Amino acid sequence: MGTTLAFLLSGTLLAATPLLLAAIGELIVERSGILNLSIEGMMALGAVVGFATIMATGSHWLALGAGGTAGVALSVLFAGVVLLALGNQVATGIAVGILGLGLSGLIGKSYEGMTVAPMKRMPIPVLSEIPIIGPGLFNHSLLVYLAPLLAVGLWWMLRSTRIGLVIRAVGESPESAHAIGYSVLMTRFLAIMVGGFMAGLAGAFIATVSATLWSDGLIAGRGWIVVALVVFATWRVDRLVIGAYLFGLATIAELLVQGMGISVPSQLLTSIPYIATIIAISILSMDSRKMRLNSPASLGRTYNSTA
Amino acid sequence: MSMKHRMTSWIAAACMALPLTGMAVTAEPVMIGLIYPTPVADVGWAKQLDLAREAVEEAYGDRVTTRVVENIPEGPDAGRVMNQLVADGAKFVVLGSFGYMNDGLRLAQRSPDVDFIHASGFRQTENLGTFTARSYEGFYLTGMAAGMVTESNTIGIVAAFAIPEVIAEVNSIALAARKENPDVNIRIVWVNTWFDPAREQEAARALISQGADVVFSLHQDTPSVVNVAQAEGVYVVNTGSDMSAHGPDAVLGSVVTDWNSYFVEAVGKSLDGEFTGYDERGGLASGMVSVAAWNDALTEEQMGRIEEVEAALRSGEVHVFAGPLNDQSGTERVAEGEVLPDPEIFGMDWLVEGLSGSLPQ
Repeated sequence: MGTTLAFLLSGTLLAATPLLLAAIGELIVERSGILNLSIEGMMALGAVVGFATIMATGSHWLALGAGGTAGVALSVLFAGVVLLALGNQVATGIAVGILGLGLSGLIGKSYEGMTVAPMKRMPIPVLSEIPIIGPGLFNHSLLVYLAPLLAVGLWWMLRSTRIGLVIRAVGESPESAHAIGYSVLMTRFLAIMVGGFMAGLAGAFIATVSATLWSDGLIAGRGWIVVALVVFATWRVDRLVIGAYLFGLATIAELLVQGMGISVPSQLLTSIPYIATIIAISILSMDSRKMRLNSPASLGRTYNSTA
Repeated sequence: MSMKHRMTSWIAAACMALPLTGMAVTAEPVMIGLIYPTPVADVGWAKQLDLAREAVEEAYGDRVTTRVVENIPEGPDAGRVMNQLVADGAKFVVLGSFGYMNDGLRLAQRSPDVDFIHASGFRQTENLGTFTARSYEGFYLTGMAAGMVTESNTIGIVAAFAIPEVIAEVNSIALAARKENPDVNIRIVWVNTWFDPAREQEAARALISQGADVVFSLHQDTPSVVNVAQAEGVYVVNTGSDMSAHGPDAVLGSVVTDWNSYFVEAVGKSLDGEFTGYDERGGLASGMVSVAAWNDALTEEQMGRIEEVEAALRSGEVHVFAGPLNDQSGTERVAEGEVLPDPEIFGMDWLVEGLSGSLPQ
């Protein structure tokens, strides 16, 4: 029972961490008014580049960095199309995402089905000695602890810093932000780069830290969950963190419930995290005023600074 | 289909091909198209299919060319891809996954001059045959081994989808393990996906946290579960190909499928114009199923018992699903002295008595 509970906690953290990392990035992007639907492809590309890097160098940190960089590279393409060529954000995001998935399969062909050693864990002194909670929450690799701290940092940045204010202003009304002298394009470009880095990092985390293997299709829809999480969170960081861990918890709890042999159809259990997301989004969107209050007003709209 | 129709379509195809290639039509190799649900890796389901493709190329040389489309999920994409293969001139098509069935049947009906073989299917037509390995026989042997080596008396099963083939394997494992060790407790997690390595690993870790010290990886195409077992220090039995390189200490045995001789035979019939949709089911006896990479932890005495049962299964003296056999609710499914007939094995939708959990309906 003890090990099961410990796994419930540790499995939740491990499953939620890549979602949270990528969602932090996507939240920044969306707060600046850009909808990036290519997260799935960026995660896949980050995963394969991270995996290739670890095969070549053996270093997890280089792999994570390279994965993030791959996400940035794909983001440059996305940013170029939506910011400069004024492409439709939905169509561009989907197209770039498919490109990322395709590229990941191509690059990863020779690594298909290979495995690497897991990343060294960093147990937190004292805390990791606590029964159940210790091994569950405080015996992980660094990034698992870092993800919620990054979320806190993001919350603080958006709320209390000048750059956070600029991002929000650009996302609410690019025309006004432009009128008072802020560069809408530069702000959005940087936001997209950060979003791409976080997505690539999340992908590399899955390939080199949690799954420790590469296979085409490894991301398996997690990029779309990230997009849904940001909507679920109504663009608020606190809800984003809660959403990511709840989603992780639901996926792990479902497996444990099945293992206990409880007679509930497994498809139903498998779909619970998704059903929960739909219900939560429906409830949150029922109050349309609140929804409008939180969502960046210019989200998804093409902005032409030269017009 | 009439000979005339076959001729006209062949001539039409040849005429269309002529201006493009400008070559004589006599030595045109027959194109064989193959669709796999997952990418071809070092190991796994798609790899085994691809080995059989190589065997076909080896056997027929210049008479055939092969074209592979890999990583095609079951769904609309698969229909599009198989139509394209036939439109491009494939005369023999391998449908490498259960879920390609409906599209495949429709296409087979529309393309009477093309022969098809379909993995794990249960419907045959004039020009569409099916092939299934009796992997459950291999899982019976590894189930015995699991019952022998488990110290926690808990065996975990990470199973892909609750289709009859996989259900039969789960039941086979349970019957064999319990026969060796009546105290064994079996936990099953259906991941409801053919391909999500990260989720398969989570399922394996969940089972290990619940006490499993032997984990079965049923139809996972990557060493996802093998990798976890090696890291966590438990035994693992996997499906498809020998994965011991990914878990040298962990792999208790790999249940391997070998399609080579079947593919060569089916393509040969097609080349000779003698193919009719038949159902091929091979097990230990035909070599379509075998167990590789037995772990050294099994003692000579234990291996001896396993080999004894293997010989009996090969000869048909022993049958995995021999009566008396009850299902979960205690209802008798196979009477004493009888064996479960093939259609019921390959249509299995019930778990044997003593297994907990319910099947996705």
